[in-house]
Amino acid sequence: MTAAQESRTRDIEANPYRPWPARITSITDLTDKEKLFELRIIDEDVREAFQFESGQFIELSIFGVGEAPVSISSAPSKQGFIELCIREAGDVTGAMHRKKCGDVVGLRGPYGRGFPFTEMKGHDVLLVAGGLGIAPLKSLINHIHDDRHEFGKVTILYGAKSPAEVLFRYQFDMWQHRDDFDLILTVDQPDETWTGETGLVTRLFDKIDVDPAITYGAICGPPVMYKYVIEEMRKKDMDVDRIYVSFERRMKCGIGKCGHCGVGHQYTCIDGPVFNYWEAMNLQGAI
Amino acid sequence: MFFRVIDKANLPDLVKGLTTEYEVVAPVAKGDTFVFAPVTDPGDIRLDYDTTLLPPKKYFFPPEETLMRFRVADNEVLDDDVFAAPRVLFGLHPCDINALQLMDNVFKGRYEDPYYLRRREQTLLIGVSCTPSDTCFCNVWETNEVHWGFDVFLTDLGDRYFASCRTVKGAEILDRFVANRQVDDTDTADFQRVVHAFRDAFDSTVDTTQLPVLLDAKFDSPIWDEFGDRCLSCGACSMVCPTCYCFNVEDRLEPDQKSGVRVRTWDSCQFKEFAAVAHGQNFRESRASRVKYRYYHKQWGYLSKFERVLCVGCGRCARACPAGINPVNVIAALQTGEVR
Repeated sequence: MTAAQESRTRDIEANPYRPWPARITSITDLTDKEKLFELRIIDEDVREAFQFESGQFIELSIFGVGEAPVSISSAPSKQGFIELCIREAGDVTGAMHRKKCGDVVGLRGPYGRGFPFTEMKGHDVLLVAGGLGIAPLKSLINHIHDDRHEFGKVTILYGAKSPAEVLFRYQFDMWQHRDDFDLILTVDQPDETWTGETGLVTRLFDKIDVDPAITYGAICGPPVMYKYVIEEMRKKDMDVDRIYVSFERRMKCGIGKCGHCGVGHQYTCIDGPVFNYWEAMNLQGAI
Repeated sequence: MFFRVIDKANLPDLVKGLTTEYEVVAPVAKGDTFVFAPVTDPGDIRLDYDTTLLPPKKYFFPPEETLMRFRVADNEVLDDDVFAAPRVLFGLHPCDINALQLMDNVFKGRYEDPYYLRRREQTLLIGVSCTPSDTCFCNVWETNEVHWGFDVFLTDLGDRYFASCRTVKGAEILDRFVANRQVDDTDTADFQRVVHAFRDAFDSTVDTTQLPVLLDAKFDSPIWDEFGDRCLSCGACSMVCPTCYCFNVEDRLEPDQKSGVRVRTWDSCQFKEFAAVAHGQNFRESRASRVKYRYYHKQWGYLSKFERVLCVGCGRCARACPAGINPVNVIAALQTGEVR
């Protein structure tokens, strides 16, 4: 490292609450409520220092409005850019939805513990997402995609409320035609155009084969979903410590100080947001 | 450690000396209670105080502070400088010194909090021995003794103080500002007598056996509903707690809407929206779940990370609670299943 880089690293670490300016380089409308933003950190040193794992999150910062935790949707293998899938739900996400391409927002991170990507290598992976839960899982799916030869069978089960609410439709349409991803989509409320599965995502477990000896599970969805999906995975004899879940809590500071994201005896922001099921069942009130 | 004896009559010299170089904060009377406040006249200091309304945490982690100034247009930080003036906290009880060490664990770590730590570096701590009040239960956690984390600790021997100097800076200020002498055998014998009498003065007994296990095993105990029914969610317990560190962050715009400040304020896990997320889900909606979480975190969550409970038995929450919830009774209820 040069002296200038070292001093910049010190700057970055000097104040962990300081967000770094990032430019919105692309905005894609996904549904009525969700948009996919691609961001590029403006400072080159900060950009290069920003290395993350699938499952980690950032604090999105819009000065004058506030901060909100957002999971990263792109894969770590995509360098230099960060994708965030954002639902318009609160003040910060609402303000983000009004931003245009080229606007500058702030971000800090990456924070938390992601999915055990390296440990998962050499194994089958079963990914189960509900609704917006696909956002952090997409990072993992893309990462597996980029190192596809290192994994066994990859199965993705994704449930959405209606066809209009299916996120990343374009990507799934592409994958549905591939032999190396088993992708099953289901919706609760089909319309006349829907040709896929209907009902809750748990119903899809009848349609898949799982070899529990070599399979890792990854789950993300609305809070009510976890219990039922885990039940299905346990029926397939998957090990409790190979089932990974990602939790959404109020990660206000992201760095284990503000206390808002407490779950059981842990903090979601630094101890999670990804936990294995053994850890999660030891967290009171988690599932 | 380095020990000195100071005659009580000379103690004001120490305070006067310190005021020439530091802001001196000490316990003073306010109505029929006590508060930590800046002093210039040593005569205002009340070392006979039982406890203060607010703990000294406010001098490191103020109720409200600006984290940074920002510009809206390009989302840039204009400044995030931390201003910390040299300060002495004079007359802290062992519980409060222990509490600061528990706070340090949180604000240090992988992500260092520059606001808290800068003030901590700039502040000298001078402790003083105390006598237990009716709400004190520090003996339960053994936080009635303090072994480090202070610069000087003064044990009252009646006509003189037995001064323990933990840091170079502590020894230096004694030598510079106040007449003192070496400790002799009589001083040490008196010190022993005083600290034993102090230890024996506590009558609080709380059965803390295996609290983390009980908190889990009795997670669904009806005692939490009973305490939840009483709790008013006012958050007073958190505000007066020397170890509660939770905060909220908000942005405030200047009238021109072009710039503003990002501010952090004290928060409480007892407030209804504390664990709510943007989509409307609230992970601790009921008062019972919030009261329980406060104990769960203090006696188990924090312990799981730092091997100490996040309570020093100062009793401020018991005094502040308008619903009469006292941690001694909560812990007893957890053990016995009966709410008193």
